[in-house]
Formats: sequence, C-alpha cells, structure tokens
Amino acid sequence: MAHNWPTLLCDNARSGGQGAQPWRAPGRSRWQTNVEGGVRGSPVLLGELLYVPSLAGFLNAINIRSGRLQWRFKAPAAIASTPSISSGRVLFGCNDGKVIAIDAVTGAKSWESPAEDEVWTSPVVQNEAVFFGSADGAMYCVQAETGAAKWKAALGGRIYSTAHVAENRVYVGCGDGNIYALDARTGDVFWKAPTGNGIDCSPALVTGTLLVGSQDFFFYALDAGNGAIRWKYEAELGITSAPAISGDSVIFGCKAGTLHALDIRTGKVIWKTQTGEAISAPPVVSGTVIWLQAGITFAINVSDGKVLWRAGMGNSLHSAPVVTNHAVYLAGMGGEVYALE
Amino acid sequence: MDRRAFVKRSCLGGVALFLDHRGTSPAYSQDLIPPAPPIHVNEPTVTTVSPLRMPGLYPGRVVEISDERSIVANRVSQSIVRQMIEQGMRELTGEKDPRAAWSKFIEPQDKVGIKINPSGAPACCSSPEIVREIVAGVQSVGVPARNIFVYDRYAYEMDIGSYQALVPLGVRVTGVQEHKLDVSGYDPDVFCEANFFGEWETRSYMASIVSSGLSKIINVPTMKDHSAAGVTGCLKNLGYGTFNNVDRSHRRPFSFTDPLIGIMCSVEPLRSKAVLHIMDGTRMVWHGGPLTQNRDFIFPAGLIMVGTDPVAMDTIELEKIEAKRRKEGAPSVWSRDPQSLTNDGGAYYQDASKNLFYRQPHHIAAAGKLGLGISDRKQIEHQEIRIA
Repeated sequence: MAHNWPTLLCDNARSGGQGAQPWRAPGRSRWQTNVEGGVRGSPVLLGELLYVPSLAGFLNAINIRSGRLQWRFKAPAAIASTPSISSGRVLFGCNDGKVIAIDAVTGAKSWESPAEDEVWTSPVVQNEAVFFGSADGAMYCVQAETGAAKWKAALGGRIYSTAHVAENRVYVGCGDGNIYALDARTGDVFWKAPTGNGIDCSPALVTGTLLVGSQDFFFYALDAGNGAIRWKYEAELGITSAPAISGDSVIFGCKAGTLHALDIRTGKVIWKTQTGEAISAPPVVSGTVIWLQAGITFAINVSDGKVLWRAGMGNSLHSAPVVTNHAVYLAGMGGEVYALE
Repeated sequence: MDRRAFVKRSCLGGVALFLDHRGTSPAYSQDLIPPAPPIHVNEPTVTTVSPLRMPGLYPGRVVEISDERSIVANRVSQSIVRQMIEQGMRELTGEKDPRAAWSKFIEPQDKVGIKINPSGAPACCSSPEIVREIVAGVQSVGVPARNIFVYDRYAYEMDIGSYQALVPLGVRVTGVQEHKLDVSGYDPDVFCEANFFGEWETRSYMASIVSSGLSKIINVPTMKDHSAAGVTGCLKNLGYGTFNNVDRSHRRPFSFTDPLIGIMCSVEPLRSKAVLHIMDGTRMVWHGGPLTQNRDFIFPAGLIMVGTDPVAMDTIELEKIEAKRRKEGAPSVWSRDPQSLTNDGGAYYQDASKNLFYRQPHHIAAAGKLGLGISDRKQIEHQEIRIA
C-alpha cells in the first residue's frame, strides 16, 4: 500500500514522485486527525507511518491505515523543518538549534547535532552524510550514523533554504542574497552567485542547471558548474516556493499567488495560474497533476495550469502534500492532517 | 522590575471622548456610533517617568523624507532607504552623526524590539530593507544582534514576509502567537478589560515580550487605510499589535478602535518602552487595508516618516491617505454614509467606495487626549525633505 516519500518533494531530484499516475480526484477522506500545534513543514512517509512535524515540538508518527497516532517524539522546541528519512531514521531540524535523528520505528532518539540557531531547513542525506543550514548563517555536514560533525561552512546570511546535494556539491540559497555551491567533502565554496535580495527558496538541479527563486522577484537558472546565469525570469513578488521538476518544465509559486511553469532550457513561460493566495509552499507534481497548498488545497493540470479541483482543507503556508498511488496526505497550519483517497 | 506592583485604572474614554468628538469634528455631527463602554486597565505602576515615553523627546514633530527612487518596480532600494533613515534620524535629533542620533533612544545594554507590521504581507508590510537599516542603527550604538528582536503578534504573518531569512545574522525573529487561540505569549497580569458586544472573553492581554522581555521598542508601522480604524499607523500597529483579542472591538458596522487603540498604547510599560517610530511609507495602501493584496490600491508613495510622537505621525498619515482617496475619487475615511457599507469582504477589496465598518479615524485624536501626542494640525511641526 505504501509508497515511500522520504524527503522534501519525495526525493533529491525534487520531482515530487513523478509516478505515471492517472489523475483521479479524491473521492473521500480515509481519515482526518489533528496533531498538537500547527504544521509548517511537510509530512514524509515510510512504510505505513506518516511523520508529521509540529510547531508544538512534536514529531508525530501516524499510521496511514487508521489515522491513529502510533507514537510522538517530544523535541525541545518547535519543529518547522520538513523531516527526511534515511537508514531507518527520521531527521529533522528544531528551533532550539539542533538536528535530531530518531528511530523511524520506535521514535527513540539516535543522536542530535547542534547548530547555533534554529534549523528550519530539511536535513539532506547523501553518501552517509547529513547536510543542513541554520539561521546562524552556517551550513553543516555531520555523519549520518552518529551526528558527529564533519565540517561547518560560515556563509554570509541566515539559511532557510534546504540544500540540494549532488555530485559532491551542496547548493544552497542564503539570506545574504547569494546562491552558494560548496564542496560536499569540505564545505569549501566553489562559487557564489548574487541575486538582488535574500533567498529562502530551496534549489533544484536538472542536468547541470540549478534552479532557484529569490526574494528579488526573479527565478534563476544557473550553470551548476560556475554559477553563471543561463536565464532569469521575473515574477510579480518574491519567491519562497521550492521548484518542482516535471519533464522539461520547472514549476514554482510566487508570493503574488501565481503558479508559474517555465521551460527549463529557455525560461519561457509555458503557463501561469493565479491561485489567489500567497504561495510559499512547493508544488508537488504527480503524474498529470500538480498539488499545491496555498491557503486552500489546489489540484492543477500540469499541461495547461488549469485548476481541476480545490478544497478548503490543509490551510497551509509551507507544507506540501505526500502523494502516493493510493492516497494523498496533507497537513495544515491548524494541526489538521488528512488522508484523501 | 523584579517585583511588579499593579494598578487598576478606568478609562472613561467612551462617553467623554464621544461627546468631545461631536463638538470638534463635523463628521461626528451625524455620528451613528454608540459610545464605547468603560475600559479598565491593569498595568504595572510606574515610579519614575522616562522622558522617552510617548510622546517622547520630540512631541509634535514629524520628519518626512521622500525619495521616489526608494521604491522602483515594487522593490525597495536598500541603499536609498539607508540614506532616508540616516537623514531622518539626523533631522529629528539635530545630531550630525547618525550614531549619536540613535544614542538618543538606545543604550548598549538595551533589549530592543522592532515592532513590524506584517499583516498585509506579502503585498504591503514593513519592508525588510527598512528593518535591516534599523538593526544597523541599533547595532551602531553597541547593542549586540542577539539583543535585537524583530517581532509581531502573528508568527505566520512574519513567515509570509520571509523576515526570518531576510534580517541580519543573530537578530531574533519572534512571533508572539502561532495561531489565533495561542495565549502562551501573553502576560496574564497586564490587560485591558471591556465588554463591547457581549463577547465571552472581555480581556485583552499584553504580549509578554513587551511587558517583560524588552527594554525599548522601535515601532515600524506601514501607511495604510484600515476598514475599522480609518488608518493603521503608529498607534494601531503598537496597540493592536501588542494586545491579543482585539478583533472583538469591531462588529459590523461598528468599531471601538476609538478609544481602544489609544488606551492600549497608554498602558505601561508599552508607553514607556516605545521610544521611536519609523513609518514605512514606501508603499501606501489607500483602500482595502489592512490586509489587501489588490495592487490597484497600493501606491508607491516613496516616503519614510520619523518621530517620537505617534499621534502627530498618524495625523500626517491620515492627511496623506485622505488626500490620495480624494484624488482617486474614493469617499473620505470619515464617511458615515450607510450606503457605503457592505457585508461582502470581496466587494470591499475590489471597490474603493465600499467599507465594512464606520471607520474610526478619530482614534488618533483620542490618543492625543490621553497624552500620547499632538493631533492639532496647527501644532504639528511637519518637516518635509525631498531627496529625489
């Protein structure tokens, strides 16, 4: 029944699952429950457990068959970060400035690794290392098995952008307005590319092109090798929404409430759709449909941007749904969690 | 204060101010609005009165700096607002050195709150660019970043504005409450109490960060129309941005923002801690405030106002918004025409002739009568400096 969804937008490709799933509007709610505190981050899924972080400081493990809480882990402070799952552990950032790893089955703490300020970014796991940024202005790399520090790279501003890690490089946006490419082994800066304002958008990488939005209203496509701008596209307001990749197109929202689909090669607009609410959450592409939580929840046709369906559930700013072949799981700022099928 | 002593006072703002308005404002000669009930305040006693407490060091003085380059294509220019704030601070204080100007208000050991207004985010909220310059000014005095708090009541509104990512390193970004019913960030001992419409909770509590966490507050309102208060500026941002449970002061078509806003601003220790006001007028919302995202009603005014007297500053703000509304053919915020009222929020956000309440711009003069500043236009020294 399950279809694992271990990290932000399903995997490091930020593809949002990309299964060739036929579009069917959800017919009913399998269950609906509430967790304590609002949900800012996105849920993740492993096997039959949905992991939902909350601002009350709980990592909630919910059984996806019943909707019942299997267990919950009490963190020292609010959890705004989207968790990620690797090697049987759930990792998440906490407002007390730590990344915490817990056993995905039992909820027992495995390790914690300190930063010097809150961690809202999602920890990214690759090659037995965990990469995360903090509001203290540093990127951290720790061992996935123990949480022991490997390196720390001080950048020029606060980090609320979840890193993209690929081919021994760490790409991340920063509050100082720069996009950084770091050496994943050492944290050394390969290059940095300036934008006109701070960045809290999480980048995606497609065949050598790094894609990221900035609060300067521009969406950038950079050469991942050297940071040179391949093209940039002007939106109406700042861009926080992490881009999702679908074939040759990149899809992201801006704070004016517009969802944009661009051609990755040229930056040309394929379509634009106005949702009416500021979009901060990443869109999730699943087959022919884009799921988006922007105030209410939208289902949008990936080929032309037409709204297929909308519903007043999962009122959310940043959370993105988990989409499987059998159900869609989504959470909202009021702490509500839904399973739709 | 290690051990706080509290005092109760009753504000007879309702009847007294109502009668006074009728005498002074033609708009009130046809007023349909009932007088507000008495409002009881529970606040800590103040043994020594700080010269910085509102109306502060410069009563009646408003420095307005305008530069059309401060906002271009809806983007605020960091370098231009830096110049504008520096010049505004120098003009306000008479100091040549910006650091000396900041030192009039802030000391190195202070814990400084920067009270932003994110409620119109993302279309119109306190610009992060202006917040950064204020942080730099406070740091120039010797306050470490960890003792600077950018705050507002609603964490999720700050999140929409991306303030967390955009303020300088080390600065704290704090939302008093995570959601509508979260009261954990409020001080149970400091409150305003009144029963306006028979609501079950008749108290509004002061945010703990204000009552006990900060020693100074720099208020950074935006320049906006407000469907209930008439305008939202220094007073509204400070009063309704410090106390919870304030929505209850409006029930269509009536609003008791007059006198509640002024009374809240007069409550200690808020009154003593709010030492400086820097109004972000780079954008002006002339209709649809405070939440509109409709860009037809958002004007790139390109100005910043600096002062210590929130009443004088809001009086100038009101004048500007009235002028813009006149120019756009919209009714005055003083209008008492029942035909302009609507219960349809959608209509309000699309049509500048519609409103949800009888607006209460007289909350500004009412605050003046509470001693918070000067509302008599003839007594206000409004210095206008145009850079470009």
